[in-house]
Amino acid sequence: MTADAHALTATAPAVDAHAATTHYRRGISNTILGMILFITSEVMFFSGLFAAYFATRAANSGNGVAWPPKELGHVLDPLGPILIATILLITSSFTCQFAVWSIRKGDRKGFIRNISITFVLGIIFLGMQVFDYTLLFGEGMTLGSGPFGTTYFTLTGFHGAHVFGGVLMLGVILYRGMSGQFSSKHHDAVEAVSLYWHFVDVVWILLFSILYLIP
Amino acid sequence: MATHALSPAVAAYRGGLYEWLTTTDHKKIGMMYVLNSFIFFLIGGIFALLVRSELAQPGIQIFTNEHVYNESFSIHATVMIFLFIIPMLAGLGNYIVPLQIGAPDMAFPRINALSFWMLPLGGILLLAGFLTPGGAAAAGWTSYPPLSERGALASPGPGQDLWLASLVLIGTSSILGAVNFIVTIFKMRAPGMTLFRMPIMVWTVLVTSVLVLMATPVFTSALVMLFIDRNYGGSFFNPATGGIAVLYQNVFWFYSHPAVYVMVLPAMGVISEVLPVFSRKPLFGYKAFIFATAGIGALGFTVWAHHMFTTGAVFLPFFSLMTAAIGVPTGVKMFNWIFTMFRGQLTFSTPLIFSIGFLTMFLVGGINGVFSAAVPVDFALHDTYWVVAHLHYVLFGGSAFGVFAGIYYWFPKMTGRMLSESLGKIHFVLMFVGFNLTFFPMHMLGLSGMPRRIADYASDAGWNDWNLVATIGGFTIAISMLPFIWNVLVSLRNGKIAGDDPWEGNTLEWATSSPPPPYNFDRLPEIRSERPVFDQRHGLGHGGHANGGHDDPGHDDAPKSLPAPGAAS
Amino acid sequence: MSSSPRKRPASEAIVAGGVVVLLIAIVAIVLLSGAGRSLYPPKAATHEAAATSGLYDIVFAIAVAVFLAVEGLIVWSILRYRRRPEDVDLPPQTHGNNFVEVLWTLIPTVIVLYLFVVSYNTLNTVDTVTTDPDIRIQAIAGQFQWQFEYLDAQGNHIATQTKPNGDGGGMAVPVGERVQVTLTSHDVIHAWYVPRFLFKRDVIPGQTNKFEFTVNEDEAGQTFRGQCAELCGTGHRVMLFNVVAMTPSDFDAWLQNLIAVENATPPPAPSGAPVLKEEAKNISFAQTTLQAPANAPFVIEFTNSDPSSITHDIDIKDSGGKVVAEQDTIPGGTKQDYTYPALPAGTYTFFCSIHSNMTGTLTVQ
Repeated sequence: MTADAHALTATAPAVDAHAATTHYRRGISNTILGMILFITSEVMFFSGLFAAYFATRAANSGNGVAWPPKELGHVLDPLGPILIATILLITSSFTCQFAVWSIRKGDRKGFIRNISITFVLGIIFLGMQVFDYTLLFGEGMTLGSGPFGTTYFTLTGFHGAHVFGGVLMLGVILYRGMSGQFSSKHHDAVEAVSLYWHFVDVVWILLFSILYLIP
Repeated sequence: MATHALSPAVAAYRGGLYEWLTTTDHKKIGMMYVLNSFIFFLIGGIFALLVRSELAQPGIQIFTNEHVYNESFSIHATVMIFLFIIPMLAGLGNYIVPLQIGAPDMAFPRINALSFWMLPLGGILLLAGFLTPGGAAAAGWTSYPPLSERGALASPGPGQDLWLASLVLIGTSSILGAVNFIVTIFKMRAPGMTLFRMPIMVWTVLVTSVLVLMATPVFTSALVMLFIDRNYGGSFFNPATGGIAVLYQNVFWFYSHPAVYVMVLPAMGVISEVLPVFSRKPLFGYKAFIFATAGIGALGFTVWAHHMFTTGAVFLPFFSLMTAAIGVPTGVKMFNWIFTMFRGQLTFSTPLIFSIGFLTMFLVGGINGVFSAAVPVDFALHDTYWVVAHLHYVLFGGSAFGVFAGIYYWFPKMTGRMLSESLGKIHFVLMFVGFNLTFFPMHMLGLSGMPRRIADYASDAGWNDWNLVATIGGFTIAISMLPFIWNVLVSLRNGKIAGDDPWEGNTLEWATSSPPPPYNFDRLPEIRSERPVFDQRHGLGHGGHANGGHDDPGHDDAPKSLPAPGAAS
Repeated sequence: MSSSPRKRPASEAIVAGGVVVLLIAIVAIVLLSGAGRSLYPPKAATHEAAATSGLYDIVFAIAVAVFLAVEGLIVWSILRYRRRPEDVDLPPQTHGNNFVEVLWTLIPTVIVLYLFVVSYNTLNTVDTVTTDPDIRIQAIAGQFQWQFEYLDAQGNHIATQTKPNGDGGGMAVPVGERVQVTLTSHDVIHAWYVPRFLFKRDVIPGQTNKFEFTVNEDEAGQTFRGQCAELCGTGHRVMLFNVVAMTPSDFDAWLQNLIAVENATPPPAPSGAPVLKEEAKNISFAQTTLQAPANAPFVIEFTNSDPSSITHDIDIKDSGGKVVAEQDTIPGGTKQDYTYPALPAGTYTFFCSIHSNMTGTLTVQ
């Protein structure tokens, strides 16, 4: 994934600026570095939400008060449909990485196959989350139903929005891949989108752990 | 060597309106940032004048509806912080950073344009609050819940929601800008421009961008949570429904304290460019300065709760120690600046005068900040006019003076023409005097117990005289803008032609034409130190001996007034 | 070959030195004159404030010294190193000096560490909460009024002072005794601030803050201004209160009187007096015009339908703005019959003393 970096010597009294600056510097590409930085900012955004979650949880539990509230405890079964959604999303991270490895080797077919699977898994995850929400709404749990509902829907809602954004990005690179725009040398967008998808996946694993697994 | 063939003056920038609206050229975007920020500076200033007029004497004179008073100071602060200082410095960075590292543009030019256009949109959203029933946001720029929650006596109207939406937009603009700056600085430097040869301005923009990247999203999360509280019955911050009021303050200040450094570090960068050039010396302690900047950035994340000493909800000794500690790198910078002037040859052009204004005012702002680091003293001073004095000494006496130093310094590069020195000095004197008249008396007001954010005060509280002085000072600052605006308007058409390098600058932006061509450089000088243009002028870095010769034909139309007065240069 | 040493007239250095001396002189004159006194906090009224004031003096002395030293360096550099006509050659290109960098890192470090230690020590004096204070008061803040409940050692209610300031109002405390204040708020964040105590503490809903103070013995008979210091809405500036310092015996008498007043049944309205009705809801009066007969006492049956944290009352002022009748506020969800004295014919304004936007017209004829 290295660009054709140039080791320009600085011995000439003046350097042709055009030649110098239109070449990449050695190392990581602009697109990928930009995505890593953007993901950093997203990590900080979720840190704010997670901090709020833990503070709210600490303030609204203990002394015999259960978290989540007793009446909602049974809807948050970690072994329910949400486990399937979790497994699907983790799987999609693998298929996404397979897609990256394929295109690095120049295997366009493998790339398209794997990215398609990732894309579909992402959509299924979103569908399952919508289904899960309707179940919770049915139980009377909403954004406005107290601290647990507020934090639960805010965290999972923003994660869902990020999955949605990721699915759109996957759609774009799938389309570009099908029209043959990527090669083993030129696929920064694929690398960047895959980083983003892994990030979304990691956030979900954290969310699943703190919302469902930690009693 | 320079692009002399290109027309040097404004003509190069007289493209059509469409061209400006669709441009992705970092220089045009940078200038639009500066213009947009200056317009919001004037808008914010009008609110400040309204507030000062009300406070000039006891009794209610202007704001018979006191809610409008609360709107005025809330919008004043929001505009000045988020739509003036932060984007103004980002705009200067946008113009200067690619030039100083020898790059043809920012790394992501279209995202750069997007970042800019979010700002006027955010500003319009914010001000649109005045048109809604219930008016604009009125809970202060900090918008602490539960006051900023929805409620009959809190913030019932959509003005607060517009405030939230506007800041999310402006914050996103900052984050995208920060990504762009970091990638540009890491990836687009010209050959030879190693990290430790980058101008200090670039370093400060880099550290600022890291702060924005790490802190602004946290602020966005606070805004989003408050929005959910207000509109979807959430219970993050409302104790009535199980929320925690102080949680917002923690999240808010986790951003807003680093944001103070976002607002001042690039201004320090400007000063660090100006002082060496007009002292004819390199910056004293270049690397120490960089480490101090990085140190301030890192420590900036550990001091947020010093805004919350009186909440009774934070661990006081830790935040007190960290707050005191952050004074050390700031002190290092101050001494480095002074020792840059020490044994130099100072030419008192307007940029240098504004920089010296920065030094003296920022010194006061740093020292009166130490009072609040001593927790018991902060118990007395918190939320009084002392704090108003402190923050204006840092943000106006510091950042805004730095901004004007930068505008006077780079205006010739941006437009190809010089600003009038005499008007610039009138501007400085009025602004400096007005500034101190306005904000120094606020120390006394705060000590004697005048709280912030009140529309009126008892006539026997002993606050009448200082308030009147402060108001007179406020209007003096307003008047000081007139010579500046006149100066810019006249100089754009009739200013002296600047030439490539009117100040005998050190950094790469002075190696190209004024204004630079769209692609910035035809040729770059060799980069062997943090002062490539200086090295070129004086013979490849064998500093200490001036040959006085100009092998650059581009210098022929440089003004003759700048070399030492009376000396044949 | 570096630049030749520059020759300057000796008078230059003298001028520069003179300016620095002048700077010190100006600062000294300001500090010692009347204007300088306003750079110090007001006279400390409590034992804790005295400690804070002492800390302020230390910080202030260091601040002035640092300011003079650094500002002197700046002024001196400006005056001494102006570029002159003969300055064609560059000055020595000094890039830095590690020794001085270390020096001016260490010196500020020592100063701030010293400041931290002294302020930490003072903090332990100022911000200590004990288990056995002499007097316990719960200060309740609500938009836009203060209320002070006096509690016994078990935290049980003794009496409530509903009048935060004015005649007979204010939070009375005995001098020389340790007073513990517990702060609670029902609505938004307020802050309890008395300038002469050099102290404030936020009043945060959902959180209980406590602090203690002891008023100096020689302050008996003094009234200290207090004010809300955290923006709490449109009426932020009217959230005033007083702290009234009394000798312990005066305080006991005052508290007994407060208990007596609280237990006394309100005098019944004169029978046959006309009864008007008024209701407060959503921070406004239901009726903004009322009519009453001239020269006869009358009653307003007042219902406060706002949430319990929001208090209202109905006071009356004449066309000249003079308040002719004042009533105590009642919390939301309660009712009270206010009895008003006979008023001469004319047009009056009735208003809520808490919410400046709540006004109406009373026609007396």
